[in-house]
Amino acid sequence: MAAIELNGVTKRFEDDEGLFDSLLPSSDADAVTAVDDLTFSVAEGEVFGFLGPNGAGKSTTINMLLDFVRPTSGSVRVLGHDAQAESVAVRRRTGVLPEGYDVYDRLTGREHVEFAIESKEADDDPDELLSRVGLDPDEADRRAGGYSKGMSQRLALAMALAGSPDLLVLDEPSSGLDPAGAREMRDIVRTEADRGATVFFSSHVLGQVEAVCDRVGIMRDGELIAEDTIEGLRSRIETDSVLRIDVDGDAALDAVRALDGVSSVETDGDRLIVGCTDDAKSRVIEAVEAGGATVADFETDSASLEDIFLAYTEGDDSAGEPEVTA
Amino acid sequence: MTLESVARKDFRDALRSRWLLGLTLFFALLIGGSTALFYGVLLSGAGANSETLFGLTTAPGGLFNFSYAGMLGFVLALIALVTAHGSLIDERESGTIKLLLSLPNSRRDVVFGKLVGRTLVVIISMLVGFVVALFAMLFTGGQVMFVSYAGQVALSGLLATAFVSIGVWLSATSASQRQALFGTVGLYFIFAVLWSTVATGVPRLVNWVIEQLGLTALTAPQIVQMRLFIKYLNPLRAYETLVAELYGPAVAARLFKAGLGERLAIEATFSEALPFYFTGPFILAILLAWIVVPPLLGYRAFQKADL
Repeated sequence: MAAIELNGVTKRFEDDEGLFDSLLPSSDADAVTAVDDLTFSVAEGEVFGFLGPNGAGKSTTINMLLDFVRPTSGSVRVLGHDAQAESVAVRRRTGVLPEGYDVYDRLTGREHVEFAIESKEADDDPDELLSRVGLDPDEADRRAGGYSKGMSQRLALAMALAGSPDLLVLDEPSSGLDPAGAREMRDIVRTEADRGATVFFSSHVLGQVEAVCDRVGIMRDGELIAEDTIEGLRSRIETDSVLRIDVDGDAALDAVRALDGVSSVETDGDRLIVGCTDDAKSRVIEAVEAGGATVADFETDSASLEDIFLAYTEGDDSAGEPEVTA
Repeated sequence: MTLESVARKDFRDALRSRWLLGLTLFFALLIGGSTALFYGVLLSGAGANSETLFGLTTAPGGLFNFSYAGMLGFVLALIALVTAHGSLIDERESGTIKLLLSLPNSRRDVVFGKLVGRTLVVIISMLVGFVVALFAMLFTGGQVMFVSYAGQVALSGLLATAFVSIGVWLSATSASQRQALFGTVGLYFIFAVLWSTVATGVPRLVNWVIEQLGLTALTAPQIVQMRLFIKYLNPLRAYETLVAELYGPAVAARLFKAGLGERLAIEATFSEALPFYFTGPFILAILLAWIVVPPLLGYRAFQKADL
């Protein structure tokens, strides 16, 4: 059984200001499609990295898993339960580190964790959970209102770990953490995965997920544009190159784009940046010259994982930006 | 039971913020202090009983009306609204609601847990005020009519709960703290001020329409009945007249604060047989409806909301 299963999920946000606005007729112009016909699944026991730039729809997707936000259409199932109708059953077995949360200013760190344990009807030792996430007893006894972002993040993680959940949903878990904290976070993710938990976590930085994930999905503009194992992504490095060409005159961009093996074409002033397979390089240069432009200079790099990620996520629909297909 | 843990957490938050302490002092001073002042200074010695202050004070000829319940109702309603109006929207705006709902709490537990937590805050502080008042009466030698007094305390608790319910509804349906604040001010204005204007205006308007249509105009008793019916839909007025009934007959309680003309028009009819929609149980049912309905509406809105 899949731990997470989304089927044709779309979420449109109407610009609804609540009680007073609901009395006025709404117009379609105010609606934003945050997630568009999203279908994917995460297997039990898998560590799934959910990647994409800010605003790609990652948090909206996660919020639908947790029933914070309701899909406009499509179905969301988590741990075999309908995410909306049986949300409490989902959350009983899920540990969540949400995005855009805040801690209760007047409760201490330990009280937060105790509240989580009580709500999940678990029997964890709060001090043990707190020490796992690196909050010492002195800090745990202070009111959380005085916590730094990093400490709040650790506290929320401790709450998520309460009750040894079958599924961990972590939305940008490393935000607010220093590099050492981010590494501890990854260690915890690994430990939980070894215990058998499914881990679903989002990030806008590839480096944070590649070390721990079995598989990644990349979101852009509300759509899943790639879904692959880290190895699958890596295999692209071996075949993909980035060709930087300094051109005099106008290059025939469309002709270059149409070539076999060319995945992206981007311009930066007089410079042409082409993502392509190794054997396509000479064809690219020929095409540029055949189009009437002169190649003044060129260099080639093999693409890093980061380049691939950026190529996937940084483009938009305007001309001259990379167009990458998975 | 996660409703209980939500309520407990909410109550603890009120303790930590000293809001409960502040309210307790406030009610001790208001209810206890006014009682001590009244029985200690204004009306000391024999003959003073709890009805003198808490019952109806009407000067002969209806020239002057004062009801302690009316005053206390205004204060309780305001305090309850202020206490409850942020219950859900504050957590939504700060983001703490995401922690709360990441745990296995349902939205129903959150709405009704908040209702219980905030109601306890208002009722406990109010009870302290009434206990202080009780001691003040006993110490100054005033005679306490315990049954009426207990009834008054219970009704005050119901009124406070009704306005906490209204505040929770407001909080659940608001999209921002600012909206909830404006809503609080607006609702309070409606209940405390505007309602009586509407109650007086509607029968007149109906009568005017009937006259325009060339039909038989409403009789004076009908007009009075319509006004009173609208008036007692207001929880503040329902509370006031129910308290009045603790100290006197139902007819007098329903006509409390009514003008001389209205009394002449309706008193005979009422004394013969009070229509069921003016009986104590019916008015009590109205007050209870204000406790039950708003949170259900609030829950329905909150249930559908994207956080």
